[in-house]
Amino acid sequence: MKDINKLFETNIFSTSRDKKNLLFKKILNKLTFHHYQNSKEYKKLLDFFGYNKKKIRNISEIPFLPARLFKEFELKSISKKKIFKVLLSSGTTGSKPSKIHLDKENAHNQVKILGKIMATILGNKRVPMLIIDQNPKVFDRSVFNARLAAIYGFSLFGKNHTYLLNEQGKINYNLLNNFLKRYGKEKFFIFGFTSIVYENLIQKLSTRLVKSNFRNGILLHGGGWKKMEKIKISNKLFKKKLLNKIKLENIYNYYGLVEQTGSIFVESKKCGYFVTSAFSDILIRDNNFDIQQNGKKGFIQLFSLLPTSYPGHSILTEDIGEIININNCKCGLKEKHFLVHGRTKESEIRGCSDI
Amino acid sequence: MKNFNNLEYLVGNNKSVIAQSVSPYDQRVCNFLDDLSSELDKNKEIKKYPDIKTLAFWCRKKNILNLKEKFISDESRIGLGLIFHITPSNIPTNFAYSLIFGLLTGNSNIIKVPSKKFDQVKVICNSINKILKKKKHSLIRKMILIVRYSNNDSYTKKFSSICNARLIWGGDKSINNIRKFFLQERAIDITFADRYSFCVINSSEILKLDHNEIKRLVEKFYNDTYLVDQNACSSPHLIIWLGKKIDKGRKKFWNNLYNHIIKKYNMPSSASMDKYTQLCGNILNLKNLKTEERYDNLIYTVFLKKLDKNLHNLRGKWGFFYEYKTNNINQIKEYINNKYQTLTYFGIDKKLIKNFIIDNKLNGIDRVVPIGQALDISLFWDGYDINKILSRVVDIK
Repeated sequence: MKDINKLFETNIFSTSRDKKNLLFKKILNKLTFHHYQNSKEYKKLLDFFGYNKKKIRNISEIPFLPARLFKEFELKSISKKKIFKVLLSSGTTGSKPSKIHLDKENAHNQVKILGKIMATILGNKRVPMLIIDQNPKVFDRSVFNARLAAIYGFSLFGKNHTYLLNEQGKINYNLLNNFLKRYGKEKFFIFGFTSIVYENLIQKLSTRLVKSNFRNGILLHGGGWKKMEKIKISNKLFKKKLLNKIKLENIYNYYGLVEQTGSIFVESKKCGYFVTSAFSDILIRDNNFDIQQNGKKGFIQLFSLLPTSYPGHSILTEDIGEIININNCKCGLKEKHFLVHGRTKESEIRGCSDI
Repeated sequence: MKNFNNLEYLVGNNKSVIAQSVSPYDQRVCNFLDDLSSELDKNKEIKKYPDIKTLAFWCRKKNILNLKEKFISDESRIGLGLIFHITPSNIPTNFAYSLIFGLLTGNSNIIKVPSKKFDQVKVICNSINKILKKKKHSLIRKMILIVRYSNNDSYTKKFSSICNARLIWGGDKSINNIRKFFLQERAIDITFADRYSFCVINSSEILKLDHNEIKRLVEKFYNDTYLVDQNACSSPHLIIWLGKKIDKGRKKFWNNLYNHIIKKYNMPSSASMDKYTQLCGNILNLKNLKTEERYDNLIYTVFLKKLDKNLHNLRGKWGFFYEYKTNNINQIKEYINNKYQTLTYFGIDKKLIKNFIIDNKLNGIDRVVPIGQALDISLFWDGYDINKILSRVVDIK
């Protein structure tokens, strides 16, 4: 996969859409063939779907796997010996987690690209990090999940890690005040899951007990808006509340799949949309899985150039999104801009099969 | 255990129902059903709910007389007493059919309706309440109690302890759960469990159909399947093809079905993902897959090259079918077990199917009906003769 290595040295955001498309198509086709040759399961699927390895396809013609398949099957393109790490997603309660098998190279590439993306908001130096969660060491084993993986993953980009919540899940004001006193005068990194940030920084935090402010903080949060939608908190309101309460104005939402860790999508500060990177792309598909026009909602299909140890380079998610049709966006990026509208609703089924 | 404060009475109250038996097809019951049919028909809201229209049509005078004629009994019969019905959560009108079964056989009834608040349940219960106010239905008033509650075992326990028969519509798991609650010594359980249904089509006969005939056939098939998201116990999951030029016959069938679905069916987007994920799972899991075909995301078909004992686990929803072809229907006999409920057919002599079941001594398949009648409910259901099972014989010599 020499092409990818070459890409590692370039900018994280493409400078020309045409150039990106060409390179992206080339690498994706290679990846498809790579997984076809190395994953028994992937080969079986593609053979059924009539895959012709000689044909170079546009990215819209590259086969896609449904995200849920990673929950039901162990899909990997490496031998057991080479497994270096297995990522698990918790998924919804009660369902099986996705299992993503990484070898050393794939794990390394994920960190490298995630680092490049993080540098766009944090700069190139590690900064003190406040984590809006408990120390994962006190988590019980059963919650080894996306939350934990994310905390560990993003911790690489911070230093002096401080956990806001104590073992009982309550805000530790001593630690917080010490952190702000020591590091609050310069840039620092705040990370947390959207709902946990809301619960603690917006709802529970008593500003009376906080001796300083969050003005220099840069918050990165993700994990979905499902809980927020229920209580009618939009992204805009979320930001407004944080600004009003703790003077925090640098706030970034991110979106990504555990199946494509590394090539995450971070909200652009200037326009508020998620943007792709040189390593990722997106298509929107309608109910028949046909390509949906820009500006119309549909299933989000995500591409990543990173997965080499498992066939996760083209995945159809159950998330609903839309691509925003703008040229010359004020953010200046030549990448695709998009919005995520949450998970597709589980449908009520008729019939008598269960009570 | 929770207390009794979240029980909702939709018809009747805690004092209104007594275990009382009358003769099957008692005139007072028939009159009540006739009134119910016209009351439902009069309701302006019925236009929104084709399933209520079907119910109104089903309990009209003529059909009840029809059912009565089929119930020929030399014995003196009388209802068992009090029936407790636990009705399925996903079919809004099923509780009404269950109630009518209980009434026609001469019983008082406690009906547990789905916890999900379907509009249809409201419409039907309102109509029942309205006509029960009439003096002529004072007897029937004591025979109907309709309640709603969710996840509360204490009610199920109580109703189970006082009934003479319990009708459980539901998945295998829920049935086993409900069975934990004791019945009186002489009381009985009738369970309508998870079943598997399939369809047999003669390709040669499909190819003989003209444009209008095939259109009518696929419409009937649509009503057996898509109308209930292919999730009723009598909706087919498997199509067995017999006859000649099967590839041509199937193409004609699926293409015509597709043309009908695309106009009629409003498939939720999550169903697309469910079907696609199931297809990928099947490709990876099943050894006996031959080909797959898709008509947009509306029809998925998976062709099997061999059958196996787990056939009844191959279920589809939202229009996901398994297919198999054979030149002799007897070849599938060893795969039929007691999970099999309805066989819908087209282009085959029903005598042939009867012989197939009786001669091969199959312990499954309770219903054999032409395509289009899979969902038609009657007092013969799941192999039970409800008329006889919910009434007792008074042997007089």
